[in-house]
This record gives sequence, structure tokens and C-alpha cells, in this order.
Amino acid sequence: MITKRDFNKRSDWIWEIPKSFRQDMRVSARAYVSEKMLEDSFKDRSLEQLVNITTLPGIQRYALAMPDMHEGYSSPIGGVAAINITDGIISPGMAGYDINCGMKLLKSEYLEKDVRPYLDKLATEIQKEVPSGLGKGRQIKINIEQIDGILKGGAKRLVEQGYGEKEDLDNCEANGCLDWADISVVSNNAKNRGRDQVGTLGSGNHFLEIQKVAEVFDDEVAQAFGLFKDQVVIMIHTGSRGLGHQVCTDYLKIMIPLMTKYGIQVPDREFACVPFNSLEGQRYFKAMASAANYAWANRQMIAHFVRKAWKAVLGENSSSLKALYDVAHNIIKKEKYFINGKEMELAVHRKGATRAFPPDHLEIPEKYRLVGQPVLIPGSMGTCSYVLAGTKKGEESFYSTCHGAGRTMSRHEAIRRISGQDTIKALESKGIIVKCQSFRGIAEEAPLAYKDIDSVIEVVHNAGLSKKVAKLVPIGVIKGE
Amino acid sequence: MKYQILEHKADLKIRAFGKNQEEVFSNLLYGMIEAMRPELKEPEESSIKTIEVKSFDLPALLVDFLSEALYQIQADKEVFKDIQFDKITETELKAKVIAKKVQGFGEEVKAVTHHDLEIIKDNSTWRATVLFDI
Repeated sequence: MITKRDFNKRSDWIWEIPKSFRQDMRVSARAYVSEKMLEDSFKDRSLEQLVNITTLPGIQRYALAMPDMHEGYSSPIGGVAAINITDGIISPGMAGYDINCGMKLLKSEYLEKDVRPYLDKLATEIQKEVPSGLGKGRQIKINIEQIDGILKGGAKRLVEQGYGEKEDLDNCEANGCLDWADISVVSNNAKNRGRDQVGTLGSGNHFLEIQKVAEVFDDEVAQAFGLFKDQVVIMIHTGSRGLGHQVCTDYLKIMIPLMTKYGIQVPDREFACVPFNSLEGQRYFKAMASAANYAWANRQMIAHFVRKAWKAVLGENSSSLKALYDVAHNIIKKEKYFINGKEMELAVHRKGATRAFPPDHLEIPEKYRLVGQPVLIPGSMGTCSYVLAGTKKGEESFYSTCHGAGRTMSRHEAIRRISGQDTIKALESKGIIVKCQSFRGIAEEAPLAYKDIDSVIEVVHNAGLSKKVAKLVPIGVIKGE
Repeated sequence: MKYQILEHKADLKIRAFGKNQEEVFSNLLYGMIEAMRPELKEPEESSIKTIEVKSFDLPALLVDFLSEALYQIQADKEVFKDIQFDKITETELKAKVIAKKVQGFGEEVKAVTHHDLEIIKDNSTWRATVLFDI
């Protein structure tokens, strides 16, 4: 049992469990939380899961938990592990099943008052164009060759085919394509699961929102990002769908029996891992990159259909939607950091944590170089979301920040305690239009079932991991048909 | 009771019972299918499918069995009933199922996890608990 007494308070926002707490810890465990949030964290097993991360071979500095952490399987959701690639491991469970689950934000040149008269029609049209992929809605099954093209080329492939513009790629993490992807290490099962899901949202907390910029905190950065007060923007939250889930499942099956061969022990089978530089480790890293490319293509295709709906409702001559940025929050990337004064290449595993590169970083679009990487943080359905910017101080968390609000209530409990109809009514009374297939889906994702996003953002802002740029509030919530 | 769906904050936990390994495996499969809230296709279309799995040990076999079923269910948009095992050991199984086409699902099960997995044989009762990522 972990209690508050096991923690050292480093600052108002940093609480650490020292390495001496448990014998198998290789580094300390650090949580970015307020005191109140820390106390709430004892209600589930996320802190125990954070301590489990510290046992991974090759881990550097500390295992990290973001303020939106909640219990997961292996790592908590909101966990970060930076692992030395020369003598450390790679762990599929530490990126999770939804490889490259992430956010894309499209911005318009319109104000809320310009869009308001068309809002209902726009939400209906978007819902029609962007299915959940669970059954109803558009169903196109592409062939394995086309899937291979997407796994290799990511969003780039779709832009080449006319589903977007070059600027979409400039404004996307890794330009929407990891070049070490390899189609030969992705199973046919995974490819098959992806055949009818390009351009689909999925279920659960995945959503699409029409939002307005409610508040600007930093004028200079907002200007660089092209954001202004009352502007209408569209936020997309989804990932690699069944294809990514299958890649993770496949590689856990491969890695579990290999643990003995490599002499690795982990406290939870979901952490199953092999040396980063082993044959199997590299095969997984390439398969993960392929699934990440699929996710970028998925968000690109959704953006294409959102733009189609936008033009259909606001007119062919309406100004088009431009991509602000697209960033993953479940992924493993190779990044360089100075550890004890020596530059080291690390495999940064982010599970429910968003990369937030600082100003001047070479991996962010040139036009954002002066101000830092745009960081897109969705709140829970119908509350609010944030645009943040990466900071130099973020180096201490391997340039990682939070990824959302974080659940506090199980789906069951939410359904028992909250009615879908009441949630819709409450949202509508705030001027938010909701398009969803099931009341159950609405109840499961109701704002009450989540942590308060504002306090999560306060922690990462005050701790300096990323800074507040703008607050977005929804005017239309869409969960696919 | 064949299975029960337990509380979990973010995911789905199912506990199943049975008088032998076949039964507990079958009941977990049926529990997973119920949780996906399938909408059956009218008129009914059915066929016979095979599930074959080899694994590292008994807990892995349970996860791999459910993962293989989940793959087939999602890729082919169908649900399974009347499972019959031709072979079942601690590390290997072969079974036939009746597959029925569905229009879609109300819930998406992303994956079957190994986390907190429990499989217990107590006298003549088997009990297994599995966490699914949804």
C-alpha cells in the first residue's frame, strides 16, 4: 500500500517516491500533481502502477505520472518512461493498445456568431461523414495493398491521393509519417482489422467537437498558432483503431515467452518487453511505427470528411479549415537527452502523455519554432479543451505533458448515476449541440465521470511542463454514426 | 452463474465460472460478446468457424484464445455461439463455433489484456477474471 508518507514533496506540483521504497525500483517515481490530486490518486492503483514503471531495465531519471493519471493495465494512463536504447528495453504495453491515439485541431477563419446559424446542420453533416466504424455509417473496405501504402506512407500517402494539402503534413508530428515503418512486420490480422476503419472515430472517449476559442492566455503564441477569441475550430480525437490494437496484441504474444530468454522480470505481464536493440524489439518498433502512420492517416481522412461537410453546409466559397497541429499521446519515439552530462538516445514511451517540444526544437514546424510546439489537450466531452505550448523547462519530463482530463468514475458507475438524456439537456442549456447514437455513450463520457480539466492544466502550466495558450469550449459534440 | 461483468474505472472486467476449462473459457467468450452489445443481422446468416491457438502457458492461452476470437469477430463482423472444443490443454486448443453475422456493435472492445488475469481451479470449479481494454 502506498500512502502519502511514502512521498517526498519536491514542490507544490512534484511529489516523488524514492528508489528505496521498493527493492525492484531502478529509479524514483515522480508524480506531477497538486496535494489534493495526490490524495485523490490513492483511490485507485495508478501510483502502484507508476512504481512498477521504475523497474523497467534501462529507465532513466525517474518514472513519470502526469496529473491526469488514472489506473490502466501495466503503466497508469498518464505514464512516461524514458529508456536508454543501448541497454534498455522496449515495451508494447507501455505505449498501449491504441497506438498513436492523438489529437488533430483544424481552425477556421470564422467567429462563433458566423457559424451559429448553421451549427445544427453542420454537426449533422459531420456525423454523417465521419462514422464511428462500429457498424453504421459509411463502410468502405480497402484492400491489403492500399493498407500497406498507408502503413508505409501515413498521412503523406493520403495527401498524395488528394485527401488534404501539403500544409496538413507540415503541421503534423513527424509530418504524419514515421520513416522506419515496415509492412513486413505487421500481421495480416492487423491489416485486416484496418481495412474498413480508415476515416472512422471509434467509440469510448474518442470524439469530434466543434469548438470556439473562449479565452486566450498568451497573445504572442496564440498569434503564431493562428488562434483568436471566438474563432471556430474543430478537434478530432482518435487513433489507429483495430489495426493498432492488433499490433500490440500480436507483439505481447511474441514477447511474453521471450522474457525468460532475455532474463527480464517485470511486475505485470502487460509490461512484457525485450531489449530495444534485439531483433524482436526492432520488429515491434517498426510495427508500432506502421500503426502510428495508420493513425495519422485516419485523422487525415477524418479531416478530409470534416472539410467536405464544412463546405457542404457553409458553401463552396467558405474559407477552408487549416490544420493547426496533430500530435500523438500514445507512442514510443527515439529522442536525445542529456543524462548526467552525457547525450543519450532514449526510447521515450508515452502512454497517455503528450510530447511538448520547446521553442527552437528542430522537430517542430518552422513557423512554430519561436514559440514552441502546439500541444492539444482534450477535456472530457462537453467541458473544455486546451491548446498549450512546449517549454524549455519541459526537458525535466522528457518534454512530456498531460493528455486529457482522466477518468474518476467507471463507465458502469457513470451509467448508473448519470442519465444520457439529462447530460444532453445540461449541455444543450449551455448552447452545445450533441449528436450521438446512444444515450449510454453520452452517460459513459459525461463530464462528471472525469477529473476537472482546469486543475490538470494548472498543474502542467505551474510546473512549467507546457504553458497555457488558449481555452476551447465546445459548441457541438459529435460521436460518429 | 456463467459470468459477471465487474466494476472497473476505465476498462471492462469479466469474471467467468465453469466446471472445467472448456466451460470457463466458453463463458468468458460469451461474456466478452455480450459486452460488445452486438446487433444481429436479419435475416440470420450463420456459418461454422474454427479457432486454433497455441500459447506459452494457461493464462496466456486464455488471453490468446479471446484475442483470436475478438479478431475474427471484429474483422468478419460476426458473433459466436455453441462453441465445441475438439482439443484443449494448458497450452493449446482447437474449437469450432457457430458464427452469426452482425450489423455492428454498440461497444468496441479494443483488446484482451494480461493485466490482473486470474485463472483458478478449486475442486470442481474453475474461475477466471480478465480485463479488457475498451
